Amino acid sequence: MGAEYVLQMKNITKRYGENTVLEDVSLSVRPGEIHALLGENGAGKSTLMNILFGMPVIHSTGGFGGTVSLDGETVNIHSPHDAMEKGIGMVHQEFMLLPGFTIAENIKLNREITRPNPISRVLGKNLETLDMKAMAKDARKALDSVGMSIDEYTLVQGLPVGYMQFVEIAREIDKKGVKLLVFDEPTAVLTESEADQLIGVMKQIAASGIAIIFITHRLDEVIAAADSITILRDGKLVAVRETKQTNTLELAELMIGRKGESVVSAPDRDKPHGDKVALEVNHLRVDMPGEEVRDVSLKVYEGEIFGIGGLAGQGKIGIPNGIMGLYPAAGEVKVFGQSHELDNPRKSLQSGLAMVSEDRRGVGLLLEQSIEDNIVFNAMQIKGEYLMGLRPLFTLRDGRKIRKVANQMIKDLDIRCTSALQHTGTLSGGNQQKVCIARALLMHPKLLFVSEPTRGIDIGAKKLVLETLVRLNREQGMTIVMVSSELMELRSICGRIAIISEGHAVDVLKATDTDVNFGLAMSGIRPNQEGGSVNG
Amino acid sequence: MGNKKARAIASVLIFVLAAALIVTGAVGMSQRDSQTGDEILTAMRTRSVLIATGEGAVESYVAIAADEARAAAQAAGASMSEIREAVAAAEEEARNNSSANLLDYETADTTGLDAALETLNAALSDYRAEEAAAQAAYIAEMEASGALDQTEEEVDTSQITSEADLDAMLAEEEEVEVDMSGFVATERMNELRAIADEQYASVCTELMALYDTLDQEALDTLESTIFDIVSQAGDDFASEYDRFAAAGGSAALENGLQARIIRYGDDLIYVGIGLILAGLVVFFYPALIKKLGVPRMIIGLFFVLLCVVALLYDLSLSGLMSNTLVRMGMNSILVLAMVPGIQCGIGLNLGLPIGIVGGLIGGLLAIEWQIGGWLGFLFACVVGMAISAVTGALYGMLLNRLKGSEMSVTTYVGFSIVSLMCIAWLVLPFNSLELRWPLGTGLRNTIVMSDSTSFGHLLDNFLSFSIGGFTVPTGLLLFMVLCCYLVWLFMRSRTGVAMMAVGNNRRFAEATGVNVDRMRIIGTMISTMLGAVGILVYSQSYGFMQLYTAPRQMGFVAASAILIGGASTSRCKISHVLIGTFLFQGVLTLGMPVANALVPQSTISETMRILISNGIILYALTKSGGDQRA
Repeated sequence: MGAEYVLQMKNITKRYGENTVLEDVSLSVRPGEIHALLGENGAGKSTLMNILFGMPVIHSTGGFGGTVSLDGETVNIHSPHDAMEKGIGMVHQEFMLLPGFTIAENIKLNREITRPNPISRVLGKNLETLDMKAMAKDARKALDSVGMSIDEYTLVQGLPVGYMQFVEIAREIDKKGVKLLVFDEPTAVLTESEADQLIGVMKQIAASGIAIIFITHRLDEVIAAADSITILRDGKLVAVRETKQTNTLELAELMIGRKGESVVSAPDRDKPHGDKVALEVNHLRVDMPGEEVRDVSLKVYEGEIFGIGGLAGQGKIGIPNGIMGLYPAAGEVKVFGQSHELDNPRKSLQSGLAMVSEDRRGVGLLLEQSIEDNIVFNAMQIKGEYLMGLRPLFTLRDGRKIRKVANQMIKDLDIRCTSALQHTGTLSGGNQQKVCIARALLMHPKLLFVSEPTRGIDIGAKKLVLETLVRLNREQGMTIVMVSSELMELRSICGRIAIISEGHAVDVLKATDTDVNFGLAMSGIRPNQEGGSVNG
Repeated sequence: MGNKKARAIASVLIFVLAAALIVTGAVGMSQRDSQTGDEILTAMRTRSVLIATGEGAVESYVAIAADEARAAAQAAGASMSEIREAVAAAEEEARNNSSANLLDYETADTTGLDAALETLNAALSDYRAEEAAAQAAYIAEMEASGALDQTEEEVDTSQITSEADLDAMLAEEEEVEVDMSGFVATERMNELRAIADEQYASVCTELMALYDTLDQEALDTLESTIFDIVSQAGDDFASEYDRFAAAGGSAALENGLQARIIRYGDDLIYVGIGLILAGLVVFFYPALIKKLGVPRMIIGLFFVLLCVVALLYDLSLSGLMSNTLVRMGMNSILVLAMVPGIQCGIGLNLGLPIGIVGGLIGGLLAIEWQIGGWLGFLFACVVGMAISAVTGALYGMLLNRLKGSEMSVTTYVGFSIVSLMCIAWLVLPFNSLELRWPLGTGLRNTIVMSDSTSFGHLLDNFLSFSIGGFTVPTGLLLFMVLCCYLVWLFMRSRTGVAMMAVGNNRRFAEATGVNVDRMRIIGTMISTMLGAVGILVYSQSYGFMQLYTAPRQMGFVAASAILIGGASTSRCKISHVLIGTFLFQGVLTLGMPVANALVPQSTISETMRILISNGIILYALTKSGGDQRA
């Protein structure tokens, strides 16, 4: 090969509109090495890989700046197919296998070995006979190289998840001329022993001369598997390290870091919170698809802003949704000392809980109805307010009262709209969020859950929303539980922050704790018992 | 910008054209009663009479020649075939001779005849007017004596199977056939007739002066022909012009174009008005599209087009409009039944026949137990709603188990209930002879709801009044408004608000602790109950209750009406009901006579009805996913 690096991406810059997602990032991978790519959600890992694979989403949004070279030659990758032909393979996070086909067929899918037959001689190559024996032989070889002894004629349907992962890898290895493989969080769905096995296979593959880019957020795996490490944060290259010269603590610190100035700051208080427990959660399990909560125990004190953080998909969002009864949940929850009934949204609202959902457009709003109807909906339905008429026999919405309170809320929360009658579907994200908050506030909740309050809204609106939360807490003494993927936000307004990983609460940290501790917790390692993983 | 400019230019051009048409038409119209108009008519009348008389004269020549030839041949002792040949030859010769030198219309002096015909026209007009008045009085007398009731019941109700027949029924009702055999001319009529006959004598003198060969006998036979040409009942400029033109009178005109403008002045004005509307649409196109949406706009324009065409074909627009109003009223409650369904999230309730069947049973019971009038209507509504409440709740539970595929479920449930009830109608133990087939078992296909013993046309006739040809079914419209108001009120109640949230965003409602399933059942129940009331309103206005397969299409018709009105499968308002019903029924009501005028003896209107209603549903379904208007 000759070139020092099998892949070099130099000074990559990518913008979506005015939003810079990658700025001057470089990545260099040597032949036969395992190179880890580390970063939080939104650090730019996926965008970088999309560029490498020439995904249409990149080209349709104006391309990118910088160069990509393979084996020292600058290349232009137009499409995923092009990337495959140039020897770049990808092991997907979601399996791309056909369940009704055998392992061998899946491995050779679309690259089948065929023999000509009389019909195909007339009607063309598409009708050639499959050479099952040759295919099985190739598949066997690929399976052996990932250390799988399973019969190549087994159907993929019903295979354990871990096996599917290996079949996927075998398929990539079987491709001719593969020189670079990308593993996108391959261990996320594997058990610990499977993960160990996978790392072994990766090393084996690397030893055969194929370079590997290993995307993960599990720091211990990075230390165990990778030769060198590139760390991204906020679309910028933070550091490149050789594994031998670093450790989990440094990696965690690099990954989290201090991101610029905090958007908003909460005034310090002498006493961060009262002594009374507002919310006590014991062994909560929530069956929320994609955000499963396995076993979480927490205590939230009266008058505090409690943060729940963690990476996407780890289960932090499941906690408020489970407690509010939006998804099936089990476990013991006490609200202000009283036992709380799960799976009953109405009871939750009645007992003084309220929630601002992370899914604004899906759960949070009636998009085709007016701001005022949205704002008073809960108060009207749960508390029977803003109604007139002969109750309970016949009721009518009290238009005048509704308009008054809606205008008050629009003023208080600075909702930018043409009038209280504007449909919420036509508002901007930030203003929609304020409508959601207004709706929760009209319930006069004792405890407010705010889930991803700043997702998808611009920076000015973010500031307003966070300031509103702080004001509610300081002035009205409202207990707030805020769930967010933005660690910076949590640390700027919350007193204590629970970090959730893989459905478990790893630790409850103070906002002032070190970056190292947050970084470790996010990757599932409890900081004060260093080295030991919580999962498993 | 360029687009806007082009639009402005186009609309200005259209306006100019329209203004020109309207001005020309108005000038033409104004000349009808002026001297020009009179001159045109006089010239045409004289020419028509001359032509008719000339033909009569020719025929008498020919007859005389034929007789002479036959006599001569017989005298010569020729055989039968020879006689026939001789007669034919003589006829031919006589015809050629006489036609050639009969009269030169252009040069003949017709001043005397003009005057004579004018006086004859005046006399005849008096006579015709008296005749019409006398006949109207006779009909009124017959009606009062009750002789008409019998004719009404003779209508073969089993023939009414389709919507088109309904139109025919509605049209027929207005011109009831009365047996005129008992009518005797009044004294005054005879007097006027005598005056007319006197005038005819002077016309005859003038004619004989022009046609020297005409004798009094031939003129006597021509009398009724000439009378018909000169004057007919309810004459105005247009009808006289048309009659004279048909008789060949237009050849007498020096300025044909002017005469035509005068004749078709009203049509020019109609087209001009249509063009002004078209120009406005072109000018405000983007605003209209935004406000109304494409389909409503197309249907609205189509409606206007139909109005213009109806006027051009001299169809009675006021009659058609009042028909539209009646049909809007009779269908509106069925369309209103779609509202709770859409708002509670089951989408278009194509299973409306469930409610319809309940309402029909209520109506049948009222007839069976002979409860008529308001009480009967009330009784039928209460019974129908009670039945529909139960079936609606069950239907709602079924829909709750099949969330996400409501559209197909409602369709099939609707079809199934209709088929099931086809069996039920045969076996239900009703005894009234009004309901049962005279022979065998089972209920009739179409059951007459008489005005006197049942509640036929109860709402239609309540407080109804008529301006010109335009009848306003006040009671029907009041009932429609009342129902709409009640539904509107419900939608503002706590339950109604919760129900709308369920339809709008189910997950939102769930998160707020609204019992989604219960709300859906309530919505379905209300929709079904409105269906029951709806069919009763429909039937009383129609005058018949239709059983068996008739209710099958009603769900679709109601669904397409509300969709035309601007509703989507997830959002609707009361205004959508009113606009949609008016447009849909208006297009259908106007569509049939217009289509029949364009293509006589066709079923094109029925085809159009099916095309429109199904096409609209299809269009709405393509819009039901995602694409939401703010």
